[in-house]
Amino acid sequence: MPMPSHGSARSRLTSAAIRIAPIAGILLLWEIAALSGIWPRQVLVPLEQIGATLLALASDGELERHLSASLYRLASGFCIGSVIGVATGAAMALSRNVHRLLWPTFTCVRQVPVIAFIPLLILFFDVEDSFKIVIVAMASFFPSALATHDAVRDIPESHREVARLYRMPLAPFLVRLILPATVPQVLTGLRLGLTRGWLSLVAAELLAADSGLGQMMEMGRQLFQIDVVLAGVFVTGLVGFLLDNSMVRIERHLGRWRTA
Amino acid sequence: MTDHRTLRGPASAKAPASTGAVRISGLSKRYAMAGKAMTVLDDINLSIRPGEFVSIVGPSGCGKSTLLRLIVGLDTDYDGEIRLDDTRVAGTGLERGLVFQDHRLFPWMTVAKNVEVALLNQKLPRDRREKVIAEHLALVGLSDFGDAYPHQLSGGMAQRAAIARALTNEPKVLALDEPLGALDALTRVKVQAELQRIWMEAGTTMIMVTHDVDEALFLGDRVVVMSPRPGRIARIVDVDLPHPRDRASPLLHRLKDEILAELTREPRGDDGTLVAFPGRPRG
Amino acid sequence: MNRRVASFALALAFPALVLGWWEWESRQGSGHAYAFAPLGQIARSFAEMIADGRLALHAGASLQRALTALLIGGSIGIVAGVATGLSRVLDRTASPLITTMRQVPILGWLPLVALWFGNGDGAKLLLVSLSAFYPTVLNTQKGMQAIEERYAEVGRLYGFTRLQSLRLIAWPSALPLIFTGVSQALAFAWIATIGVELLFSASAGLGTEMMAAQVAARTDVVLVCVACVGVMGFALNQLFALLRIRLLHWLPAAGK
Repeated sequence: MPMPSHGSARSRLTSAAIRIAPIAGILLLWEIAALSGIWPRQVLVPLEQIGATLLALASDGELERHLSASLYRLASGFCIGSVIGVATGAAMALSRNVHRLLWPTFTCVRQVPVIAFIPLLILFFDVEDSFKIVIVAMASFFPSALATHDAVRDIPESHREVARLYRMPLAPFLVRLILPATVPQVLTGLRLGLTRGWLSLVAAELLAADSGLGQMMEMGRQLFQIDVVLAGVFVTGLVGFLLDNSMVRIERHLGRWRTA
Repeated sequence: MTDHRTLRGPASAKAPASTGAVRISGLSKRYAMAGKAMTVLDDINLSIRPGEFVSIVGPSGCGKSTLLRLIVGLDTDYDGEIRLDDTRVAGTGLERGLVFQDHRLFPWMTVAKNVEVALLNQKLPRDRREKVIAEHLALVGLSDFGDAYPHQLSGGMAQRAAIARALTNEPKVLALDEPLGALDALTRVKVQAELQRIWMEAGTTMIMVTHDVDEALFLGDRVVVMSPRPGRIARIVDVDLPHPRDRASPLLHRLKDEILAELTREPRGDDGTLVAFPGRPRG
Repeated sequence: MNRRVASFALALAFPALVLGWWEWESRQGSGHAYAFAPLGQIARSFAEMIADGRLALHAGASLQRALTALLIGGSIGIVAGVATGLSRVLDRTASPLITTMRQVPILGWLPLVALWFGNGDGAKLLLVSLSAFYPTVLNTQKGMQAIEERYAEVGRLYGFTRLQSLRLIAWPSALPLIFTGVSQALAFAWIATIGVELLFSASAGLGTEMMAAQVAARTDVVLVCVACVGVMGFALNQLFALLRIRLLHWLPAAGK
């Protein structure tokens, strides 16, 4: 039986309300528990204090300092890692020799979670920006390489044969043939790389840094300033969500021509 | 339910069945789609004798599958009456079985376990249960495949297993919805003969929907020809030939021609007038 | 035959090049020797760590942590997934909550849990269990909701009770997806285990050992641990894949 699909404004509002309700409920419980004083103020901080801390950090530039440091590292690492990743993935998929050369090593190194490389990289690069950028680059490298490799490999052989028949030079071959066919899958890989890069970055900053959101949270933890920690958690989650959401929008926009 | 009936095993002569009479009176089904009322079945009247094999043929949209689902109780929204041995049917019940076109064996169970599903809600002691399962596997010729999984079977074998499952709880009437439709032509001919043999041995009333007129005539005591939009019984053809049937019989061929003529006849409008196709002479 | 030899040679060529470059760097003076531990030393450390049982100790501790957390997080995830998959009411209330919580990465919970529960093993276990929980609950829920109507109809024909329907149709039908969820959970749990060990360097574990080695500037030990992490992660995934083939043997080979 076909369901009426017209969503009246009221029904959409109700469904949105239903979705937000549990979250609001949890926040309400939190607030009640915090204000009741069952737990010391250090442990369970009322929401308004977190909000106040957030505003304070924002207004005196602290938040901006940490956030910009983190975002700078993320952007640099992601650009480096994803560009190399896409190139490597495409090369492995297009050339059998490159594949034989790199794929086994690629698969082996891929088995190791990126965060396991942190101590190693600290030894090489010390606790400055460089090692964090490398971590982000590594974290974005693997998903983009893999996605590009799979996407290029999945292009039907018939398309490539046509290109060979017309003796397409490399540049137009890549731009007019490979690119459009692979964009959606590659974008998904890039999105995954961005998310992983962000998470690895925050992890690295928690471990060893003198600036950045992760470091801000770690300091807060050491000074028992849980409001700072929670503010940091909120911003981390928010940034992660926004990054992911923007990528999804880009994916949807660029993948418009696709038929399901 | 049917728990103490003894299995009518491979008897040499088919004893005339005493139960399994189906009477359908004034059956209609309508539903509303996008504001319009659609009639799927319009005033169906049919009486089926116990142990009879009735084939139903008709073009797409004549509601034959819907009819089966109503008889079996998977669908309960209709006007009119469906009676089994003078009791009105209500919902599903173990006394009415259904074999689907896609065998619908549970992929995660062996063939034997699938067949056992039919006995799940009947109180039978373990050894009796195993005996019944073994007998029905033998009935459909799958004795050696009790421990196989559905993905290991061919289409014909899987469908035979589905038939075994449907017969194991000894329903009074078994509906079959294009049971051989998914099989290739050669397998279909073979399984038709199997189905005839199984029916002769089991003696259950069977109602089979099919697209294949040859199949309908080969298996059925009667063939119900339906017309579409709305679904109605156009005519009922008696096939007065003994079982097992001989495919070469001239009567079968003649009846096939009659039925095909009925099926390809120019459609009549609801008021009985001939609907004229553009460019075609009337008459 | 030549093809395969060529493939093999090429596959080894790249790591051989890297190793060669590494060894060369390690001989470039004391500053470099600190970061680029000579290959011989790495091999010796590896042998040492096996001999004195350190490797087994740390690897075992990490493994135990990951598997315990998988058990806890996975079981709760399956129960939650079944519940939300079957009851629309529970789905409506719990799912947005789970989705919201998922937006916060495990990392984000870390400072929180650290502050509330301290640095101990319990806190670590909690965090890793959380990372195992999400993929399990999501996939189990999907599995329960994806039950095909056509099998449900067969259940109706044979008068299945709700319980029978759950046991004989819903659960086996959902099992492939549940398995997917648990195997993802395994991968996440392993990564999370190393992560929490790096960040809370307390008791034994490969992550803990790595941090200690880093502080002591022992690149060789760090590398042995890194290799161990990779190999064990790989082995766990392979074992799980084999387990899936055994348990879901009724799936046709081409199926998921």
